[in-house]
Amino acid sequence: MELLRDSMYSAILLLIHLDAETLFIIWVSLKVSGLSTLIASLIGIPAGLLIAQSTFPGKRFVLTCLNTLLALPTVVIGLVVYAFISRRGTFGSLGLLYTQEAMIIGQVILIVPLVTSLTIAAVSKLDKRYRLSAMTLGADRLQTALVIFSEARFGIFAAVIAAFGRVIAEVGIGMMLGGNAKGFTRTMTTAMALEYDKGEYVLAVALGIVLMSIAFAVNLLFQFFQGRTRTDAV
Amino acid sequence: MLYELTGVEKVLGGRKIFEIPAFSIRSERIYSLTGPNGAGKTTLLKILAFLDRPSTGQIRFCDRMVPQVESELLELRRQVVMVDQSPLLFTRTVAANVGYGLKLRKVPSAERRKRVIEALELVGMEKFLRTEAHRLSGGETKRVALARALAIRPKVLLCDEPTANVDSENQRIILDILAGINRREKTSILFSTHYQSLEQQLAHSSLHLQHGRLSESQINDVFDAELIEHDNEQAFCRLAGKAILRLPRRLVPEEPFFTVRIEQEKIRLATEEEPARTAGTPVTGRVVRVEESSGAIRVGVDCGIVLHLTLSGRLYAEQPIPVGASAVIIIPDDAVRCLANNGSRDRG
Repeated sequence: MELLRDSMYSAILLLIHLDAETLFIIWVSLKVSGLSTLIASLIGIPAGLLIAQSTFPGKRFVLTCLNTLLALPTVVIGLVVYAFISRRGTFGSLGLLYTQEAMIIGQVILIVPLVTSLTIAAVSKLDKRYRLSAMTLGADRLQTALVIFSEARFGIFAAVIAAFGRVIAEVGIGMMLGGNAKGFTRTMTTAMALEYDKGEYVLAVALGIVLMSIAFAVNLLFQFFQGRTRTDAV
Repeated sequence: MLYELTGVEKVLGGRKIFEIPAFSIRSERIYSLTGPNGAGKTTLLKILAFLDRPSTGQIRFCDRMVPQVESELLELRRQVVMVDQSPLLFTRTVAANVGYGLKLRKVPSAERRKRVIEALELVGMEKFLRTEAHRLSGGETKRVALARALAIRPKVLLCDEPTANVDSENQRIILDILAGINRREKTSILFSTHYQSLEQQLAHSSLHLQHGRLSESQINDVFDAELIEHDNEQAFCRLAGKAILRLPRRLVPEEPFFTVRIEQEKIRLATEEEPARTAGTPVTGRVVRVEESSGAIRVGVDCGIVLHLTLSGRLYAEQPIPVGASAVIIIPDDAVRCLANNGSRDRG
């Protein structure tokens, strides 16, 4: 209990006296996770809409693969991407290893399946008559997809929020591809792992509390937008 | 011809839903489509709306072969619109829903607004312009869905059970709208409905889908009519080239050739107590058939065309009219419905 009390105290202090270093760590976490979520959404949402709306041989297989990819350990992604971007790898010359870009690449791979399968779930739940109504009123494929997107937007937003939650909390990719370099690629989770390794439990837990607070704030923000669109719709 | 179907079959889940060797549907007409549940009425409507494809066979639409390629279907789909049995409106305002089809057709916003209001006025929903669509009741939703379809001024309107699950007031409104747009805009209409329902009176022709076969059912009470003479009060029409019928002028369309539908259940026998001239059109004819069926007597009266009236056994006993006798029957005004032929002479 003492550990938790001290940590809470430290967390509050950390939040009150946000020093430049902590602030930068938080900034890197938000930036990397935000960009990963954005890129993954740009890939995953259209892919989900396309897969959900079309019938093709092997669709079931694709869905099974997507569901399997949800269980992909971050360490495996870290290893595979590492193999490609390390000095001797195919893209070694780009010098991506231990950069924020490398972390983003890894995180995008992590959450594209999540965004895609949750989008498919949201769209599949939607009444088929929306699609038929749009089509009979003269919508082409893209315009129909936009109607579907608009009607399934709450479910799709939930997919994006879940994806953001997944990447802001992950540590494996951050460590393996980012390298936890102070002032460059150190994020809240990698900093926490480091503090734990150093035996600074209080600071580690305090960082954890900060992370949770930020996650909470981001979710509140999302909810605000979602709530507003819902109010618009109501 | 509006649609020409050749060898059209639809197989769903290994079961053949229907098989239509050859069938034509004419333009500018109202067709009703009846058949038991599961006969494939909705599937057929979807195929005619180009939202579904037949498993085999060919369809010609306006003398053009319907292509199989999705991108080429879009152009045809934009001439036809289908209104679902329980339509869904998009999660937007009523105005945005009705304007959706116009927006897709890149109609400029000023013109769009005008047509949205027009369409809503047509269904009597103009007050709900800014209402969020999902706040409407079932009947209102159906009317807005109809306005959404009509706003794009389709060549063909396909309605799946337009009056199902709708209260009688909304039913009447919907039927009047359908008859009105067929008359004014010459929109071809095909709607599915329960057998022998109210709205069947609306149709020029009745289609029946059962046991996988589509047939144009014989309607005994529909006649070609020709306007012979009229003044402000009444009009004289010749039915089926033979019988002369006097009808109130307001019931008769403004064209020489039209179609008359007579609800034979409403035909009465003129009795001595009831002066023949007050209740409707009296027609004199000769009894050609008397049949008894489950206690009621069906009497066929030839007055140029053969019309049937049904009498209770008691009434027939009081006033027996044997075959060969002369009889005066009354066709009440509310038993007669005139349908515009939209220019063509025969009703097909």
